[in-house]
Amino acid sequence: MKKAIEPDNIFQFKCMREPLTLQDAIRESNRCLLCFDAPCSNGCPAGTNPGRFIRQIKFYNYKGAARTIRQNNILGSICAFVCPVEKLCEKECSVKALEDPINISGLQRFATEYGKQFNLEPLPKSTKKKGKIAIIGCGPAGMGCASKLAKLDYDVTIFERETKAGGVPLWNIPEFRLPEFALTYDVDNLLSQGVDIRYDTFIGSVEAVKTMLSDGFQAIFISTGLSEAFKLDMYTGYNNALNYISFLRKVKFYRSSFDLKNKNIAVIGGGSVAIDSAVSAKACGANKVYLLSLEQMEELPADVEEIHLARTMNIIFKAGCQITTVIAKEKTITGLTGTEVEWIENGKFSPSNARRIEGTAFSINVDLVVQAIGTKPGLEIAKFSKDLKTKGKGIIEVTEFFETSIAGVFAGGDVTNGGMTVVQAVREGKKAAASIDTFLKNGGHKS
Amino acid sequence: MKKEADLSIDFCGVRFENPFCLSSSPVGNHAEMCARAYDAGWGGIVFKTLGLEKSFKVIMPSPRLSIFNNFDKRFVGLQNAEQITDRPILDNIKDIKWLKKNYPKKVLISSIMGYVDEDWSDLAKMSQDAGADLLELNFSCPQMAHKTAGHRTGQDFHAVASFTEVVKKACTIPVIAKMTPNITDMIPVALAAKEGGADAISAINTIRAITDIDINNFTPLPNIRGHSSPTGFSGPSVKPIAMRFVSELYNSKPLNLPISAIGGIETWIDALHFLLLGATNLQVSTGIMRYGYRIVEDMIEGLQDYMMERNIQSLDEIIGKAARKIVDPSEFNTRFQVVSVVDETKCIGCGQCYISCMDGANQAMEFNKETRKVFVNEERCVGCLLCKHVCPVWDCISYKEVDTNEMKHAAIF
Ligand SMILES: Cc1cc2nc3c(=O)[nH]c(=O)nc-3n(C[C@H](O)[C@H](O)[C@H](O)COP(=O)(O)OP(=O)(O)OC[C@H]3O[C@@H](n4cnc5c(N)ncnc54)[C@H](O)[C@@H]3O)c2cc1C
Ligand SMILES: Cc1cc2nc3c(=O)[nH]c(=O)nc-3n(C[C@H](O)[C@H](O)[C@H](O)COP(=O)(O)O)c2cc1C
Ligand code: SF4
Repeated sequence: MKKAIEPDNIFQFKCMREPLTLQDAIRESNRCLLCFDAPCSNGCPAGTNPGRFIRQIKFYNYKGAARTIRQNNILGSICAFVCPVEKLCEKECSVKALEDPINISGLQRFATEYGKQFNLEPLPKSTKKKGKIAIIGCGPAGMGCASKLAKLDYDVTIFERETKAGGVPLWNIPEFRLPEFALTYDVDNLLSQGVDIRYDTFIGSVEAVKTMLSDGFQAIFISTGLSEAFKLDMYTGYNNALNYISFLRKVKFYRSSFDLKNKNIAVIGGGSVAIDSAVSAKACGANKVYLLSLEQMEELPADVEEIHLARTMNIIFKAGCQITTVIAKEKTITGLTGTEVEWIENGKFSPSNARRIEGTAFSINVDLVVQAIGTKPGLEIAKFSKDLKTKGKGIIEVTEFFETSIAGVFAGGDVTNGGMTVVQAVREGKKAAASIDTFLKNGGHKS
Repeated sequence: MKKEADLSIDFCGVRFENPFCLSSSPVGNHAEMCARAYDAGWGGIVFKTLGLEKSFKVIMPSPRLSIFNNFDKRFVGLQNAEQITDRPILDNIKDIKWLKKNYPKKVLISSIMGYVDEDWSDLAKMSQDAGADLLELNFSCPQMAHKTAGHRTGQDFHAVASFTEVVKKACTIPVIAKMTPNITDMIPVALAAKEGGADAISAINTIRAITDIDINNFTPLPNIRGHSSPTGFSGPSVKPIAMRFVSELYNSKPLNLPISAIGGIETWIDALHFLLLGATNLQVSTGIMRYGYRIVEDMIEGLQDYMMERNIQSLDEIIGKAARKIVDPSEFNTRFQVVSVVDETKCIGCGQCYISCMDGANQAMEFNKETRKVFVNEERCVGCLLCKHVCPVWDCISYKEVDTNEMKHAAIF
């Protein structure tokens, strides 16, 4: 029942995945075996419980399905669009032994949209009779933590440096993969729980965090994600070399003033974000889009589905190569030259392990370079780090209960795991909320 | 915040937190099972039918089940060759006591079957003493190995009236008489039960049927060492027949007793159908055998949402609403007829409606092989809507009404 990728939709920035109709949803849910100890539910990091909501759909309890999703996973609507389900819930689906797995993300989207269309009552408001908690960063991890704490009747305030909630899914995940209404639905649910979000509030030092603790917040959850893109020295100083964070943000929010018609784009990197950048460039009208990676084709970290999408969009893959020089006119890059490479030692995917292959030099003409080679936490984290133990590169070190080295300060999401998925961030937020609850029940921090 | 609709009912003076009950069958075989059913949310249980081993020792056959399949849809109906309980009476009575002690707010209905007057009165007394809230008299098991019990009793008006009377004399708790559908007209039997003092009627028990045959050895299933028998059929397939019986019971003016509906209930929509046809209480077996006790969660939540969306405060407001629309076919209004309307934008060009109309209706559907689109010839359409029912796109074919006083219609010549 999964619809094939439609390049036309992407060109129009319409959602790639078509929604299920009622008929689709009934048929799909009736393929479900309603397994005992549902493996799909065990396969969801955030505990969204697909086994339960699919059963609810099958038995025509659509609103019940919508309730299950949002009370278990405050980002349930977003997840229906962006979760790599073939590696999570659908991977575990028992039906796979017989035929195609159940289209779980499709059913998840169906249920949330049904709830919205038929006026599902808002989530209960937190009574706020328990303590005050501060959360820094309103992305998936922060929202997951806030929702769970509100459910436990805490008084939650989220401090967010931007003017909107959502983190990476809002600013960076392309619209053709995640339409805005999906995000709005989840943010509205969070707001209905009585969570207070303070926008435009940048928490920039460990002192600020400590002040919060003395200002009456009984615990703090840091979920600031990764906001510093890695850059390569060879591209610094040029006016047409961007990192993927700012590139994707431009595409999403300033597309009208960001015309790539007839331009050639080089994307450096081979992961999911590189593909998102390349496909976005194409969707903005680019002429040739190159995807240049050190990894060989079969080693690309991006999912098979994403690679398939890029191929459908005629992205030119130059796998197993390294850019050696930048050709520029003053401050503007006009071309790149490189060679093919092979690994000196197998299985070590790092630039220092790459050996250039004689006689494979190539050059391409480019108008824009997008670097998509990874991210690390923002600089402000380094300031936290004076007191906060980190694992290097600003990644905050936490225990299995998401406690940092400062009592009463917890952290989770990309800023602790180094960058994984939305659903993993929600899981960590929820787990941290449970730890915060236990911590406060045991008397909180002594100061 | 979600306010919950009230699903509680009063059935024969007994309050049920919701109308959903296990019907008498293996799903309520013993205390541990019933306890799990209560925990899952069921409002009441009808315990597996009790009997007295001193009068008749039950030995179940095996295999004892067979299913009815329709192409890829498996288990659209279930056939069973199971009799009443094979557990000793004292074990069952102990279980009922335990359940009433541990779940005082939940309803327990004791189902009983005797062979002579004394059995019926003993079982009634023992059940009442153990704490049962109501009794259900099993006049309807279609496969008792005992030659005069079960549905054979249920087909005999006098036996039904007199056994009911015996039970009513032996106890004070309300008594439900469970009807067999293996009869042309259920009303006379129900009236006989009423005459004997029954406080309510439950229907239906299973329908005698043959679901399958092994075509290699010519043995119907279940194959019990080379033999089989037309035994009790239940599940989704029997729901239409159960609905008919329930509506007839509800619409019978002389009967006028509360009804507990049974037969193919799996979802809140099935439940609602029976409520609309006049049932106050609902019982389920096959649905649970297939999917487990958990299905009650969706029945409760789904029915509550239905009520909330329509501002229905209690089930009393909807019970019997559809039964009132049931009339004799002689009373249909035939001045207004319909013709089929195909939504061309939704048509996928399969031509199933064309085949069905050609061979099973009035050759009113035209098919264009070039465009693979269909077209309704309104002069020939009799408005049966076979086309709509075979269409694989559920919302593609609809219909419009024709006033035959003003326009010609193929149904009237
Ligand atoms: C291009 C791209 C595509 C992706 N696609 C997918 C996908 O398809 N599926 C998937 O599951 N995952 C995907 N991911 C990964 C996923 O988005 C992240 O794992 C997830 O967003 C992490 O959530 P988080 O809450 O930890 O951090 P973030 O989403 O980064 O949120 C952090 C929040 O904190 C705020 N903040 C940061 N610093 C401060 C501060 N000092 N003071 C106040 N506020 C601050 C930020 O503004 C932001 O709102 C993708 C990531 C990228 C970059
Ligand atoms: C395996 C099986 C055993 C049953 N045993 C009994 C019984 O002991 N007493 C009884 O009154 N009905 C018995 N029934 C009938 C059910 O209670 C019920 O009336 C019938 O199955 C229709 O409901 P359903 O479609 O929900 O199963 C049995 C049904 C099945 C399937
Ligand atoms: S369902 Fe249970 S009791 Fe019945 S045959 Fe299978 S294993 Fe045996």
